[in-house]
Order: sequence, then C-alpha cells, then structure tokens
Amino acid sequence: MATDAIDAWTDPVSTHSQGFQDEVLALKQRRADAVDKFAQVGFPGRKHEEWRYTPLKSIASGPCSALLERSGSLLDRELLPVDAERVARIVIDNGEYRDDLSDLSAVSDHVQVQSLASMRREHPEQLSEHLARSFPADDHPFHCLSDALLDDGVFIGVAPMSDVDGEVAAIHIIHYLDGSKGPGSAHTTGLLHIAKGARIRLIEEIHCQGEVLGNIRWGVDLAEGSDVHRIRAFRSGCASIFHGSRVIQQQDSRFEDVFTCAGADLVRNEIHVLHEGSGCHAELLGAYVACGSEHIDNHTTLDHLVEDCTSREVYRGVLSGRSRGVFSGMIHVHEGAQRTDAVQSNDTILLSGAAEADSRPRLEIYADDVKCTHGATVGELDEDALFYLRSRGISLGQARRMLVRAFISEILVATGSEVLSDFIIEELQQAIDVAEEASS
Amino acid sequence: MSGKKEKQMLEIKGLHASVEGTEILKGLDLEVGAGEVHAIMGPNGSGKSTLANVLAGREEYQVDSGTVKYNGLDLLELAADERACEGIFMAFQYPVSIPGISNAYFLRTALNALRRYRDESEIDAVDFLELVRSRMELVGMDQKLLQRAVNDGFSGGEKKRNEILQMAVLDPKLSILDETDSGLDIDALRVVAAGVNALRTEDRSFIIVTHYQRLLDHIVPDRVHVLSGGRIVRSGGKDLALELEKEGYSWLEADDAKAGSGA
Ligand SMILES: Nc1ncnc2c1ncn2[C@@H]1O[C@H](COP(=O)(O)OP(=O)(O)OP(=O)(O)O)[C@@H](O)[C@H]1O
Ligand SMILES: [Mg+2]
Repeated sequence: MATDAIDAWTDPVSTHSQGFQDEVLALKQRRADAVDKFAQVGFPGRKHEEWRYTPLKSIASGPCSALLERSGSLLDRELLPVDAERVARIVIDNGEYRDDLSDLSAVSDHVQVQSLASMRREHPEQLSEHLARSFPADDHPFHCLSDALLDDGVFIGVAPMSDVDGEVAAIHIIHYLDGSKGPGSAHTTGLLHIAKGARIRLIEEIHCQGEVLGNIRWGVDLAEGSDVHRIRAFRSGCASIFHGSRVIQQQDSRFEDVFTCAGADLVRNEIHVLHEGSGCHAELLGAYVACGSEHIDNHTTLDHLVEDCTSREVYRGVLSGRSRGVFSGMIHVHEGAQRTDAVQSNDTILLSGAAEADSRPRLEIYADDVKCTHGATVGELDEDALFYLRSRGISLGQARRMLVRAFISEILVATGSEVLSDFIIEELQQAIDVAEEASS
Repeated sequence: MSGKKEKQMLEIKGLHASVEGTEILKGLDLEVGAGEVHAIMGPNGSGKSTLANVLAGREEYQVDSGTVKYNGLDLLELAADERACEGIFMAFQYPVSIPGISNAYFLRTALNALRRYRDESEIDAVDFLELVRSRMELVGMDQKLLQRAVNDGFSGGEKKRNEILQMAVLDPKLSILDETDSGLDIDALRVVAAGVNALRTEDRSFIIVTHYQRLLDHIVPDRVHVLSGGRIVRSGGKDLALELEKEGYSWLEADDAKAGSGA
C-alpha cells in the first residue's frame, strides 16, 4: 500500500509545491523538507502505531490528490446559528480564504485577521516563525502535506477587548469543501494567537460535497491568562477530514474545545495540548455519531509539562450500522508536573451489533503527586431507563431517541448557547434517525 | 363493597411468571374492583415487585401461564407503553435516574404520549406548567426538581415523591405503588398518603405494596393480601395488616410445614 500512496500523491505534491517560487528561504526550506519527508513516509499503513485503527488506504490510493479550486457553490448551506453580539465571519472555500465573503466589521477593533496567502507574501519571516513554533517538523502525513502545499488559510490575532464588560466576541469560520467538479483536496492552515488576558469564542464548521479530502490544521497559542472557547461542527455529509490542532498554553490560560460530528466518511480528529505554564486548564469535549460504514478516529494528546495544570476530556459517540469509532487519548505527565489533575472518559453507545468502538487510553506519568483518571464504556442503551420511559407511555422509538439525545446533550451544554446546542443536537439526532430507519 | 364488586378493574388468574428461567409467581390470583385500594404485603423476595413489573409490562419478566384482564382488555397482549396509555402506572421501588433529560421534559413527553393515544391534542407549555405546579404542591415537592435531570442526584425521598408526582400528573386508572413508603420520613409519608387519597375516586384503583402498617393508617385499604412464595396466601380486611404487624410472617412457615406434612 505504501508504494501506491507514494505513486498517487508524491508527484502531484512535488509538482504543486514547485508552484511557489519566490519565497523566503525559511519557507522554501520548510516546503522542500516536507516534500522529501512525505515522499519517504507517504500515508502510513495499519502497522504504524498511531494509525492502527484508521486505514488511510482510500486516501492513499489518490482520488483526491488534485487540489480543489475556488467553488462558491455551497454558499446556500444552512449555517450554525451563532448568537453573539459581535461575530466576525471567515469563509474558506476549497482552501481559499475568501475576502469577498468574509466579514470582519463586527470585531475589527481588537481582532486582527489576515489570510495566510497574504501573510505569506507580506510577512513571510513572521509566518515562518509561527509555523516553526506551532508545527515542529515530524513525519505526520497530513502535517507534511500542509507544509508541502502551504498556500492559504487564516491568521487570527486577538487582543483584549477594550470594553471589559462586553460580551466575548465570536469568530465564525466556515469551510466549504466542494468536490462536485471532480474529487480533490484542500489544505488549510490556521493560526490563532491570543494575547495576554484576551478571550475569544471560535465557531468552526465544515461542509462537504462530493469526494473531497479536507486537511485542516490549527496552531493555537494562548498567552498568559487568555481564554479560547472553540466549537467545531463537522456538518452532516462530510467526506474525508483530517483536523488537527496543536495548542500551546501559557500560565493560567484556558482552552475549551467542543467537537461535534454529524457524520463523515472518514474523520481523524487530532488535538495536541501543551501546558507550558502552570495553572492552565484544557477541556476537550466531543459528541459524534457515525452511521453506515463511517469511521471516526479521535486522537488526543495532553502534555502536562509543568505543575498545577488540569485537563478534562469527555468524548461520547453513538454508532450505528457498521460504523467504527476510535478514541485514543494520551495523557503525558512530565517530570515535575506535580499536582496535575487529568480526567479522561470515552463513552460509546452502539445502536447496532455490527458497529464497533475502540477506546485506548494511554497514560505516561513521570510525577508522583498527580491525579489521573480515565474510563471507557461501550454498550447499548440502558434497558432500565428505556423501561422507565416506556412505563410512562413513551413509545420504544421515542424512548430510544430521548436517551440518545440525553447522552449527546450532556456534552453540548458546554457550547454555552442553547440555540447552538439545540441546532447541533437536532442534526446529530437526524443522522441517527435516518440510519435507524434505513436499518429497520 | 358489594356495589363496587360489579365493576372489576383487574382480574389475575393463575399467573405464573419467571425471571431468567426461575419461576417467581406460581399461580397468583387477584381481583381488584374499580375504586378499590388493595394492599399487598409479604416477606422479602416473595414476588411483590415481580408482580408489579409483570403488570407494568417489563419484558425481562416472562409470563408462563395465566391471564390478566384489565378493564376488559387482555393486558398481557399490550406493550409497556400501551399499558401506560391505557391507564396503568407503577411507582418504582427503585426509580431509575436518567441524566440529560429534565424532569419537566420527561413529564411533558409522557403526558403528551398519553394524550396522543387518546386522540387529544398536545398540552401547551403554559397549561403544562400550571398543571405540574399544582401537582407539585399536592405532593409537596420542591419546584427546583422540575429542571433537574430525572431522579439524577435526587435523595431517596425525593425520588419517591417524584414517582407520586408522575402519578398525579399522568392520572392513571390503576396505580401500583411498590414500596413507595420505604425511605420516606414521617412528613413525606403523610404527603404521599394525602396525594393518593386526593386521587381516590370511584374509577381509580390502587395496589399498594408495603411492608409497614403505618402507610395504611393514612391510606385505608379495602383489602389486604399476603403474597408468599409467588402466591396470595391470605386475604382480609384492613385489620389483617395490623395482625401482620404484630405477628410477622412466622405463621407462614407453620402453614407451609402443615401443607408439607399433609402432602
Ligand atoms: N431480574 C431478576 N433477575 C434474577 N432474579 C430476580 C430478578 N428480579 C427478581 N428476582 C428474584 O425474584 C424473587 C422475587 O423478587 P421480588 O423483587 O419480586 O421480591 P419482593 O417481594 O418485591 O421483595 P422485597 O420485599 O425485598 O422488595 C427474588 O428471589 C429475586 O431475587
Ligand atoms: Mg420489592
């Protein structure tokens, strides 16, 4: 398989990467290194420890190795209801930052937004420094692709808001991945830099059509005392998505991420959090449904590098049909990271006998005064709860729906917005209803 | 009493039921007339909760033989939710908690399921709230519990009151209270009893499973039955409960011994 991968992707990747000629040395070098690295490693097979549960065969064989071009044809998709006073909107269309569709007027005073393409032209040195910090060189296939094909995306810098009492501003980021004119991929890099004491809400959603591969990575940098609340929604009908975040937290900062997926052919959702300063908290929450032969792989890594940091991870999945859900969560408590408090749990409800869940907590602890707990449950809907509901006149079908909804909604409370939470729950629920109906 | 006899609500004949292959109910007969309150007492493990669950339609409990007629219907033909829609209600001995579903949403969904079954329109939010508030007052329940998840983190007594609240809102015809008095403080016991008594009418019946006479001081039963070894072994008027309170169940063993030696 490895040779196929190299054949199908190496040439296009190398050809595309040569399209960027007059770059500063640092960027040029980074690109060239990534091309070489990718040519060496390609897409890993199942023997690779990090990719054991998630086959990349369908991607490696290459239908999406072409780059998607500007489309604009998914603009009529219904967006998430974002209830905030000040919302900036950023539209990324097949990997291209669309100035014409984005609207920054609501938050312009303290939020700096620039397309990565223009940053590449205007501040290449600065960009290269950011990239080096957020994405140190490794042999991760999607990171290699992102570096080799680095073109567009977005840089967001957030300063503290001037009026202290004001509501936290929100940034709404919409990715459209449209393969209706032919399969292809889009590679997007986002950089989010939050200044000391600044706060932001980020709402990111992804829409797909046709056979596409979305490769999205984020470098998130939280300065002292800053706060990021991010909600990500993979809207129903997504194709293949890699979404990776590398989050670096300084002292007393807080990062909260609520991930949701209403169905996608293949998802790899990666978050790597590094606590570099003490007193940090990271909250990683996820609610996902998978139907048919969909596959979703959640891969989190928490590096507790210093003392007195906390993290809490709760991922919940509902799997029907022959779908597969994977959760792999690494908690790494480094030497000296005393009084770390890390909690992790992954719960899965299987709605069909053919669905499968793999949960793999991994703890590496090199400090003695720490609290780390992890737990995983996999099972069917609670029979006692079902009977309780039915004994009050609620039909079996409705009782099942209520329990699934309850299971998911406990995660979505963390969106902090009832309209948003209701909207997403409804979409997840619908994906399950359709699958359940098809199977009954 | 003779007047009520004309209208039977529940008629159980020769009921045999088992759980996971073990027979628990072994030929149980019981008749409950409309408007009557029957108390069922009996030793631990004798099958009281099994009977309640069989009547409520829990599928783990398998009916091996016998018949159950409820208001002219063959009860055993109906699924649990249909039974509820037909007016059967069981207050659980151990109510289940359901995180993520608020008590209010649960109650409203249940009430609307019953209304739909009767071809009535769904109740609107304002009317529902008014109804629930008045019923909460009746059972002396804190309004805050309405927004909490169903039984989640409720104290033992709060769970039991919540069962009575559901009964008061859903307005069943036949209520089966499985040890609703266990775990209640004396005030709560009075409140629950007052709740039941307020609902007591010509066309509502109650089966009250209890170990203690004290509940029956407040809810005076028409009949008292002793369930033992999966059958009703003795029935009587309200005084039987007093007798049992004094004597316990040792006489059962004596009876068994007699029956054994006679065979
Ligand atoms: N789900 C079950 N699986 C296995 N055995 C069961 C189950 N439910 C009931 N039993 C058994 O059936 C017998 C009768 O139980 P049941 O709960 O009906 O007794 P009870 O009369 O309600 O007792 P108590 O007064 O303690 O509540 C007991 O021996 C019990 O262990
Ligand atoms: Mg019992």
